[in-house]
Amino acid sequence: MYNNILGVFILVIKVDNLTKRYGNLIALDHFNLEVNQGEIFGLLGPNGSGKTTAINCILSLLKYDKGTVEIFNKPMAPDAYDIKKDIGLVMQNVAIFDELTVYENVDYFCGLYIKDRNHRRELVEQAIDFVSIGYYKDFYPKKLSGGLLRRLNIACGIAHQPKLIILDEPTVAVDPQSRSNILEGIQRLNKAGATILYTSHYMEEVEQICTRIAIMDKGRIIATGTKEQLKAMISSGEKIRVELFDMDDNILQDLKKLPHIVSVEYEDNFLIVKSSRGKNNLLAVLDYLKSNNIAFGKIYSEPPTLNDVFLEITGKELRD
Amino acid sequence: MLVYKAFFKIIQKNILQILIYIVIFLFFVVLIANTYTDPTNMDFKESKVNTVFINHDEDSKLLEGLKEYISQNANLIDIPDDIQKLQDALYFREVEYIVKVPKGFTEAFMKGEEIRIEKTIVPDSASSVYMDNLINKYLNTARLYISSIENLSQQQLVNYIGEDLSHETEVLLFNPDPEKGKNIRRMYYFNFLAYSLFAILILGVSAVMIVFNQPDLRKRHSCSPLKLKNMNFQMILGNISFAILVWLIMIIPSFIMYGDYMFTKKGLLFLLNSIIFTLPALSISFLIANIVKSKNAISAASNVVSLGTCFISGVFVPRDFLGETLLKFASFTPTYWYVKSNHIIANIDRLKEEDIRSILTGILIMLIFALTALAITMVIKKKKYTGQVSGS
Repeated sequence: MYNNILGVFILVIKVDNLTKRYGNLIALDHFNLEVNQGEIFGLLGPNGSGKTTAINCILSLLKYDKGTVEIFNKPMAPDAYDIKKDIGLVMQNVAIFDELTVYENVDYFCGLYIKDRNHRRELVEQAIDFVSIGYYKDFYPKKLSGGLLRRLNIACGIAHQPKLIILDEPTVAVDPQSRSNILEGIQRLNKAGATILYTSHYMEEVEQICTRIAIMDKGRIIATGTKEQLKAMISSGEKIRVELFDMDDNILQDLKKLPHIVSVEYEDNFLIVKSSRGKNNLLAVLDYLKSNNIAFGKIYSEPPTLNDVFLEITGKELRD
Repeated sequence: MLVYKAFFKIIQKNILQILIYIVIFLFFVVLIANTYTDPTNMDFKESKVNTVFINHDEDSKLLEGLKEYISQNANLIDIPDDIQKLQDALYFREVEYIVKVPKGFTEAFMKGEEIRIEKTIVPDSASSVYMDNLINKYLNTARLYISSIENLSQQQLVNYIGEDLSHETEVLLFNPDPEKGKNIRRMYYFNFLAYSLFAILILGVSAVMIVFNQPDLRKRHSCSPLKLKNMNFQMILGNISFAILVWLIMIIPSFIMYGDYMFTKKGLLFLLNSIIFTLPALSISFLIANIVKSKNAISAASNVVSLGTCFISGVFVPRDFLGETLLKFASFTPTYWYVKSNHIIANIDRLKEEDIRSILTGILIMLIFALTALAITMVIKKKKYTGQVSGS
């Protein structure tokens, strides 16, 4: 999907050993990244892990101490205008003019890239339709809800139909409906040919849309791969949750003795059993409950998440 | 020219605040035009005070003479000697001065005794002082004759007084160039222009710059292929266009009010001085716009800078009333030099080389202010740019 007809990966972004310091704080610590043409690449990490700093350095918006950045196989610099014309940026904060209408905002930002008025008009209309804010095009931003503002923010970043779109946490503080709209939109942009670099601290989003993911912590990439590859890196397997109303210590002790079981806990009327990789773990737990006549309610079996990956590698939760 | 167009769209959204300052300006210039009294106005118009003369004494020659003298210099009104009627007449300003001669006045006066004429007046009125002077003049002259010439009859006395008081001296009022008074009025117009122009420029320029200086919008611009030089050029062009537009709006009333005068040497000098002042005002506004960070701070900066510099430079208060130290302090503002040049333009009868040199010095100093403020702004902008948005 993201290689050319000869089956060779085409690099869109290549970052080598990027280091950025703020005094004694190392914001980026030998940060390496490769994003291939046509993929939706997710940069996942908790708040403060250095995602936005990395984006700012990649786009030459911020000075960095060491390393190199190449975009479209050319070194990126503040005056690399030929590279910039093919990049679209959607920032974490809504960056628009409150004094311009929805249409005027999209037209303005599109106009920074596209000089031809007729062509621009088409692109602006397409961008507005793309994020479904056509009804509001004569509205001023102050009259829009948070979700609509986010959509406008995206329209301003993608109206010129760039080859590379960088989205820095575009769904922060967005309602579920708008979030779903935004995520679907990103997938459509990718299908239309754009390469996407998507940063977020929401692992569900990254899992949902990204073809490859890099997990970041303390300014470093700690793991890269597809979600399946990442999950395969860790030893823990599924997590089984069983609703139990009567509980005693014997049950906990007995379950711990079952094969592949790593830990057993009881919390809020739920028995939580974590297992290592292995087959039939759920069946073994249910057999035990049945043979001991222990009444149980709902049962959930959850495969490992990216949070588990993060937890196992760093020893802390992704949401910490 | 996207940035240039956006510049004016932002101005358009802030037009209400700007309009308030324009309305204040127009209000003041119309006020100046209609209420300003020329300190060199020497017009004199004689007026007579409505006076009632009531005599409780005998009909003596002395009192007849006094009444006659009063009638020559005031309007004698006939009102019956009734307290209620007299008070009503005074209250409704039908009369402003009531003279009551007490019984035995003539006899006592002729003997040189101390006796007073009673009076009822409108309190604190100028007319009462005038009438006091008039009556005192008559009686003091009479007393001088009585004390100097023995056995003087009343008829003789009245004749002497009549002769003395009939002498008139011709007074020629020195009337300077009436055009000078008008010039002072025009000077106030252009002085006040400094306040409104400064306030509007700070408001407008800051309103735009605060938007373009938002970190996220700056990032968007920095990410785009729009060259920094191109963007700065459009921004500077926007600022200059806005300043010229505001200046034009500010000077239009002067053409309406002063007509052809604005095409004379003095009128053109006033205009030249004001357009030169626009430059440092714009530069300082640009500097402030790059320092302030919130919309509330814009209003505060606009008021403090425009009002403050205008107060200490003699826009609202004549410079003669300001202390020397304050004026020295004010000389560190372009408003001081602008007002000073206006003062020179308004007060000179004919343009001499010395005056032109003074005006040119003011213009040069204003230009230095403009360049200095611009240079400081550029240093601040460059520091911000290299510190926050740059690449390695």
